[in-house]
Amino acid sequence: MKTKAEAVQAVVADTTNLESTFNYAIELTQQQGGRNLAAVGFTPEQWDMLDALCKTAGVNLLKPPLRDHGDAIDTAVTPVSWGLADTGTLVLPSAEEDIRLATMLADTHVACLRASQIKPDTESIQAELDHILKTEPATYVAFITGPSRTADIERVLAIGVHGPQELHILIRKDR
Amino acid sequence: MIKTAQDIKSYKKQLKDALQDQFLRKALGNFNTAYRQNRADVYAETDFNTIKQEIAADKDAALPRLPALMQEFKRQAEAAGTHVHVAQDAVEANQIISRIAQDNAVQHIIKSKSMTAEETYLNDHLEKEGFNVTETDLGEWIIQLRHEGPSHMVMPAIHLSRYQVGELFNDVTNQNLDPEDIDKLVKVARKELRPAFLEADMGISGANFAIADSGTLGLVTNEGNMRLVSTLPRVHVALVGFDKLLPDLKSALKILKLLPRNATGQALTSYVTWIKGANECRSAPDHKKVMHVIFLDNGRLELARDPIFSEALRCIRCGACANVCPIYSKVGGHKFGHVYIGAIGLILTLFYHGRENDRAIVKNCLNCQACKAVCAADIDLPYLIKKTLRLVLDSDGRKSIKNFLLSKVMPNRRLFHFLIRQAYLAQKPLARKGPMIRHLPHFFDKQHGFRSLPVIASKPFRDRWQHLQVDVKKPKHTVSFFAGCAVDFIYPEQAEAMIKLIKDRSVKVVFPQEQSCCGLPALMAAEEETAGSLARQNFKAFEGNRSDIILTLCASCASHLKHYYPKIARQVGIPEKDMTAFVDKVMDFSSFMINVLDLSPDAFKAGDKKVAYHSPCHLCRGMDVTEEPRKLIETAGLNYVPCADEDVCCGFGGSYSVDFPEISAEILKQKLAGVLKSGADVLVSDCPGCVLQLKGGMDKQGHDIEVKHISEVVADQLKTKSK
Repeated sequence: MKTKAEAVQAVVADTTNLESTFNYAIELTQQQGGRNLAAVGFTPEQWDMLDALCKTAGVNLLKPPLRDHGDAIDTAVTPVSWGLADTGTLVLPSAEEDIRLATMLADTHVACLRASQIKPDTESIQAELDHILKTEPATYVAFITGPSRTADIERVLAIGVHGPQELHILIRKDR
Repeated sequence: MIKTAQDIKSYKKQLKDALQDQFLRKALGNFNTAYRQNRADVYAETDFNTIKQEIAADKDAALPRLPALMQEFKRQAEAAGTHVHVAQDAVEANQIISRIAQDNAVQHIIKSKSMTAEETYLNDHLEKEGFNVTETDLGEWIIQLRHEGPSHMVMPAIHLSRYQVGELFNDVTNQNLDPEDIDKLVKVARKELRPAFLEADMGISGANFAIADSGTLGLVTNEGNMRLVSTLPRVHVALVGFDKLLPDLKSALKILKLLPRNATGQALTSYVTWIKGANECRSAPDHKKVMHVIFLDNGRLELARDPIFSEALRCIRCGACANVCPIYSKVGGHKFGHVYIGAIGLILTLFYHGRENDRAIVKNCLNCQACKAVCAADIDLPYLIKKTLRLVLDSDGRKSIKNFLLSKVMPNRRLFHFLIRQAYLAQKPLARKGPMIRHLPHFFDKQHGFRSLPVIASKPFRDRWQHLQVDVKKPKHTVSFFAGCAVDFIYPEQAEAMIKLIKDRSVKVVFPQEQSCCGLPALMAAEEETAGSLARQNFKAFEGNRSDIILTLCASCASHLKHYYPKIARQVGIPEKDMTAFVDKVMDFSSFMINVLDLSPDAFKAGDKKVAYHSPCHLCRGMDVTEEPRKLIETAGLNYVPCADEDVCCGFGGSYSVDFPEISAEILKQKLAGVLKSGADVLVSDCPGCVLQLKGGMDKQGHDIEVKHISEVVADQLKTKSK
C-alpha cells in the first residue's frame, strides 16, 4: 500500500491514534500557511477532541455545512473506508455532501486509514461496494489514488489541478 | 470548428501541412515512444491478453441486450431519484439537455470532459441557446478557448505546445506567464475555474460505465474537475452512449483494470467515481441533486445488431489505438479522425458523423496491426477499417481506377500474371540495366521519389521452379511453398536462398502452380469479392497435396491467410473448418528453420557482420512470431545488433505507400535512422514488402547498408561443404 501510494505522489505516514493524526493535520496546515481545517466523518466526541486541538493551535475548524465556506478550505481530514494495496487507492463513500466538498475543494487532504482495512485489490471489495450501490437510496463512492493530476500540457505531469494538491495517508495500526 | 477533409485531394493538402508542423511531429513522436515504454511497464504484473478477451466477451454479451440493460438501469436509477431519458440522435440529446437547463432556470453550466458531448456538438447548441458553458478539464478548456475540437480522446490538447498554452493563458489572465513553468500554467486553470465551479447551476459530464443492476454511473478521471462538476451545481446531467451500459459492477471493474493502463500508463487514475441517484446537494431544492441521465443512441442500437460492425461498440475509449499508430504520430488527431480519432475514429466517424467526413480519412490506414495489438477490447480495428472503407465506396457509388483494375484483373490469375510479365518489359528502359529504378518518369508526382523501386525479375520463381526442385527420398517433412507475388515476380532470389537452405535436409518441397496473389492488396482496397475469389483459388491450389506445412517468405501473405481466409470461407463456398485446417499449416520462414528444422550453428560459417532486424508488422503482430528470426540470425553465425523500434511499421503497407507517399516516406525515414544508429552492416527482414521499402529507402538515401531477406543472409552463411 505504502509503496504504491507513494508512487502516485501520496505522502504516507504511520500513526498510533487519532489524536496524533489530528495533530499531524493541524501542523501540516500551519506549515503550509493555511488557516482553515475541515473535518467530516467523525463522531461528536472525536470532533470535540479535534476542536480543542485546533483551538490550542490557533487553527480554524470550519463548521458544517461546508458549502458556506466555499473556497476557504485549506486542509480536509476524513476517515476512509478501505485502502487497496495494489494501486495505493483509498475508498471513500461520499454520499454526504460535506465529505465531497472537503475532499474536493481542500488544497490538502489528510486521510485516516486503519491498517486492518487495507485490502489487496479492487476485487476484494467488489462485494461490499456492490452492496453499497444496491442498497443505499442514493450514493457517491470515490476511489482516490494520489492527489489530483493532469498531463494535458505537453504530457508533462503536473500535480494539483482542480482537486487536492497533496494527499496524506495516515495508516493507523489496530490494537 | 472541426473541418475534416471531405475528399482525398484536400485531405492530402491537410496532411502535407500537418507533416510540416515540427512541434507536433516532435511531441507525438516522443509520446509514441514514451507511451509504449510506460505501457509495457504498467502491464508487467497484469495479464493484458486474458483480461482483454474477457472484456470483449462481456461486451459482446451486453451489446444485443442494450435496450433491456437500459430499462434495468432506468428502473434502478429512477428508484434512487434519477431522471432517465433516451435520445435517438445528437439533436434530440442536445434539446433534452437545454430543456433541463431551462426547466431549472440555469444560466451557468460547467462541463467535464465527455467525448459523447463532443459527438453531439453540445457546446455549440447550448451557447446558441444562450447558456454560458465552461469546459473544466484542462485540455478541454484550452481547446474551448481556442475554438477547436479535441485531437485525442484522452488528451484533447496534445497538439499544442506550452508556448501556445502560455500565450492563451496570458490573454485569460492579463499577465505575462512563463511558458516553461507548466506547473504554473496548470495552476491558472485551478484559479480561474474555481469561481465557475462555485457559481454554476448545472454540471454536465459523460460516463465510462452505466451499471444496469444498480443504476450506477462510473467515471474515470484524473484532475478532480468531474467530482466538482457532479457535486457543486444543483443540477447534474450525464450524457452517456448506449454502448456504456454493462450488466454489473464486476464487468465495470474488469474494464477498469485496462482502461487507465491503456490510456495513460497509469495503474489507476486519481479518481474513480461511482454515482447513483439524487445525492445530497444543499444548493438544490429539498437538498437533493436534480439528477438526469441521457442515453444517446445516435446509431448505436443499429450498430449493435450488425454482425460485423457491432465489434466497434466494444470500444472503451482508452485512445490506445491512436497512441501506437505510426500515422497518428506523424499527422496528429485533427488529421486522423473527425470527432473520434485514431483507428476507432476512422470507423465510428462513418456511423456517427456521416460518410462525407469519413471518405478521405478512412483510407489512411497502413494495416500495420499496431492498434489491434493494444486494443483493450480486442477489436479487429484494421479489418473493420477496410469494411468501413467498403461501405463508404459503395455508398459513394464510384470506384477508383485502382479498385476497377483490382476487381477486373486480379481474380483472373493468368491475366494478372501476364500483365506482370508485360510490366517487366515496360520498366526495362527505366532501370537502365541496374537492379533498381532510381528515377521515375515525369508523369509520377515527385513525392513518390522517396525510395528507389526494384525491377521485376526477368524470370519469375514459378518459371525457375522446374530447375530447382529436387527429388527427396523418404522426406521427413513435405512442405508446400506459398510464394506470394513479391517473391515470385520481384525477388525470386529470396526463394532460391530458401531452397538452398533446405534442400539437403530431407524436406520435400511442392510448388502448386495454380497459386495466386494472397488477396491482401485487394482487401486493402476493400475489394472483398476479389479477395474472396483469390482465397478460394489458393485454397483449391493447395487442396489435396499432402504437406504438413505451408511455408512462406512473406509475413503479410502468412498473416492474411491465417486471419482473413477463415473469415471469408463460407462466403466463397468453402467450409470454415477446411479453410482453417488449410491456414493452420501456414508457417513463416524463421519459425520453420528454428522450430522444425532445428538448424545447428555447425552448419554455418563464423561471421562478423553486424545484422539489424526489422520485425514485419504481419510477423510480430500478425503471426505472433518474435523470437525465431533473431535466433536464426545468431544461429547462422551473424552478429545481431538491436535497433530502436524494431517492431514499428516501415511505412510500406502495400499500396498505402503509393496512396500516401509523404507519410510512408516519413515513417521510413524514422525507421532507417534507427538502423543507421545501430551501426549495422546489413538490415534483414522477413517480408519482401518490407525489404522493398527498406531497400528502396536505403538506396535512395545513398547508404551502403545492404537490405536483404533473412533467407538470403542465412543462406550466404552456409558452410561450403553443405552446399
